[in-house]
Amino acid sequence: MSAETDSGGDHGLPDSSTITRWLVTTNHKDVGILYTVTALFFLVFGGVLALLMRIQLWTPGAGFLEAVSYNQAVSAHGLIMVFWFLSPFAFGFANYVVPLQIGARDLAFPRLNALSYWLYLFSGLLFAVSFFQGATFAGGWTMYAPLNVPVYTPDIGASTAVLALVLFVVSVTVSSVNFLTSMHRMRAEGLTLRRMPIFSWTILLTVWMMLFAFAALLAALLILSSDRLLGTQYFAATGAGGSLLWAHLFWFFGHPEVYIVFFPALGVMAECFQTFTGQRLVGRKWFIAAMVLVALQSFVVWMHHMFLTSINLEIKTLFMATTIGISLPFDLMVFALIYTLIKGRIRFTTPFLFSFGALVLFIIGGITGVFLGAVVLDYEFRGTYWVVAHFHYVMVGGVTALFGGLYYWFPKMTGKMYDEFLGKLHFGLYFVGFNLLYFPMFLSWETPRRDFVYPEAFVSWHQLSTVGGFVLGISFLVMFYNLAKSLVAGEAADDNPWAFSTTTEWALPSPPPIENFPGVPTFASGALEFRSAEAGDRSAVEIADGGGEPAPDGGPAHAAGTDAADHEEDHASPWPLAVGVASFVLLLGLSGLQRGGFPSGVEGGFYVATTGVGLAALGWTLVRLARERFVGPSGPFGESWPFEAVENTKLGVWIFLASDVVLFGAFIGSYVFIRVAHGWTDWHELVPEAHVVTPGLVNTYLLLTSSFAVVVALVAAERESRWGLVGSLGLTFGLGVAFLVNKAMEWQHLFHVHGETFANGWVPSTNVAASTFYLTTGLHGLHVIGGLCIALYLVARAWNGAYLDDERSIEYFGLYWHFVDIVWLFLFPLFYIL
Amino acid sequence: MSKLRLYTAIYVVLFGLATAQTLVEFAGLDYWVGLWTIVGLSFLKAAIVAGYYQHLRWEPRSISFVLLVGLLAALALTVASSYSIT
Repeated sequence: MSAETDSGGDHGLPDSSTITRWLVTTNHKDVGILYTVTALFFLVFGGVLALLMRIQLWTPGAGFLEAVSYNQAVSAHGLIMVFWFLSPFAFGFANYVVPLQIGARDLAFPRLNALSYWLYLFSGLLFAVSFFQGATFAGGWTMYAPLNVPVYTPDIGASTAVLALVLFVVSVTVSSVNFLTSMHRMRAEGLTLRRMPIFSWTILLTVWMMLFAFAALLAALLILSSDRLLGTQYFAATGAGGSLLWAHLFWFFGHPEVYIVFFPALGVMAECFQTFTGQRLVGRKWFIAAMVLVALQSFVVWMHHMFLTSINLEIKTLFMATTIGISLPFDLMVFALIYTLIKGRIRFTTPFLFSFGALVLFIIGGITGVFLGAVVLDYEFRGTYWVVAHFHYVMVGGVTALFGGLYYWFPKMTGKMYDEFLGKLHFGLYFVGFNLLYFPMFLSWETPRRDFVYPEAFVSWHQLSTVGGFVLGISFLVMFYNLAKSLVAGEAADDNPWAFSTTTEWALPSPPPIENFPGVPTFASGALEFRSAEAGDRSAVEIADGGGEPAPDGGPAHAAGTDAADHEEDHASPWPLAVGVASFVLLLGLSGLQRGGFPSGVEGGFYVATTGVGLAALGWTLVRLARERFVGPSGPFGESWPFEAVENTKLGVWIFLASDVVLFGAFIGSYVFIRVAHGWTDWHELVPEAHVVTPGLVNTYLLLTSSFAVVVALVAAERESRWGLVGSLGLTFGLGVAFLVNKAMEWQHLFHVHGETFANGWVPSTNVAASTFYLTTGLHGLHVIGGLCIALYLVARAWNGAYLDDERSIEYFGLYWHFVDIVWLFLFPLFYIL
Repeated sequence: MSKLRLYTAIYVVLFGLATAQTLVEFAGLDYWVGLWTIVGLSFLKAAIVAGYYQHLRWEPRSISFVLLVGLLAALALTVASSYSIT
């Protein structure tokens, strides 16, 4: 492309051979490559930790690693692989491929997409830092309570690991909102959901699950952070139901997470099977229906991870039934894939081999999981290597397909063909290594999980596993060599190196130009067409576009208009990276908090200073991000079911609020759970007499009035009354501040209550009732503070005459502010009246 | 009715309901009747704010469904986990 030599011509993006390009890019294809490369880095990171464990397990009770180092390696391996490798690897492809498949020029919010990436990277780096702060988290990847509280994992590094996860979840939430808005609103004409390619379907369902499941994890992690940093008592061993509460919150996220990780792999399998058998997926409609069913069912099976806890038998039985239920749609999917193979003519390319291998491994992983879903069998299998073997067959089985995806899309992403022989060699070593590593674990299943002492009888099985682990590791050296060599000296790849592939990305050059399409893609006729492209003259359009010249005239008026808009689109912004750095610094500083205070001396000074710098930097970078002029993709879009009448930003706000519903829902649920466990009506024994209704009622009035002020502001903006707008927004701000002041006075009073029961005041660490009160209303208070920052920004801009011709910003702020109001409408009775 | 009048009427209703909710506590009802009345009033107020101030009444139903799915997930977690306690 001619534009690549012109730093200013490629939509403001520097050349892709420069480092700056990768720091400021917001283009979905660049972000996709960044995700892929970074995920592979974390694969190596997590993989090396796994090899350390396998060396330790060569003989029972070996001393290669100290016990606590082994525990760190186990925990960090699990966390890194599940969070920082699996999903981000799949989302590398999702970023690159989904907009191409649905006919969009980019995601709905390109800068938020870049932000997701940088938050992901910096969350991973934060996790890496945790190793150097005493010790990283060593209580297992499931972080079960009470091992997750400072009594058992006292190191600052353990807190950092938790905060790193918080940052990761923020990244995931931003990404989910972005994908959902894009995929629902920005599909090309004729690309109805029924016609959407299967990989895009798997991503759509994945992000829906992510939106809700990760919100529950965020609640769990914020509560845990509070227990660790502020000294609240949710998960303390002595509390009512603390460890059970963690298990509920974690697995409410954790089970959907299994499908969040697996669905993209399923999508790759289905795409590769279609392409390399030349056969349309058998029962495609039913396959999609089965996936929708699984996505829904995934939220009602979580207690099968808790059969050995004290939950009652009725609920165990119910969840055993739902677990068997969720295996049924998978049967349909597996048979659909098998029949596709039978009916088609298979071509044994590398991507196909990996996809086929993934199917075999997943079948083994799935069947061995059914054992664990039965309550009685789980009593025996729980906490053994049967579990370890099963979930590696499922999760790493899924990863197998993703490596197929890497080979499948490598030519598209790089424009170079990989070496087929080396690809097959990789598969051979991988498949042999995989089974040598994990299958012996089924045979030595009585080995206790997370422990490096095991019966002598299993030594040879474990040694076989260790050999397999190294074979698996070596197979990746082949892969990295292949990909690096091909990138430098590989053959140029055609637009479509695979016969029979039918999805849109293969109709474009490899790699596709920055604006993706030579015109407006449409599927209205049933096949892909570009509206503004002159027949057979695609390359001419491309060069003209890339060089910053207007598209050739003569196309339909509609397309010409869109092309003009295309040229105003931006693709560069330094602020997502800056926000990522600031978040990293802030959380690193906060990691030093213990029981509400920083350590003393130089160390404490470092953490205080870092927190201060991080907070200031985060505020500044967010304001700069908001102030930056940036034009993302604009409509009209082809297919937007079921949100035709909702603008992108508004839909984004609503989807975000839906995840916030789950976040607060999980906080309120935790309160209800603990209170039920403690005895609902005995709760008042934990609360001082001084905790009265009045401050809560006053705050209810204040928030309701502030909500009213926001709708008045909206009316003022519609009537183009500048001072009416400034006045009512100012009133909103003032009422919000009054809310916080009232709350501060109330808290101050409660901190210093005297009496027989609460001689030392009623502070967050006094008891679990105090913890739930301060933390839940505190989280709400943080939402109020966030809203006030936005309100202040709006007031300042309204003062200068903004929003009178376009009141949407006021409306969208209102959606958030009213939501905060609604939350209070529940918190008030729960924490003040009942 | 102009928008401003509607919004004002809604505000008055919400203010009244919040006051009523507090008074339920002192009405001498059975604890559990009082509890469900109070919780019911919270849901009613939330629905009014969402319906009128957040304009969900006039938005496509699909948005309300997304929110309801979130609410349903939170309720499933709350109810099932509380029920699981022995």
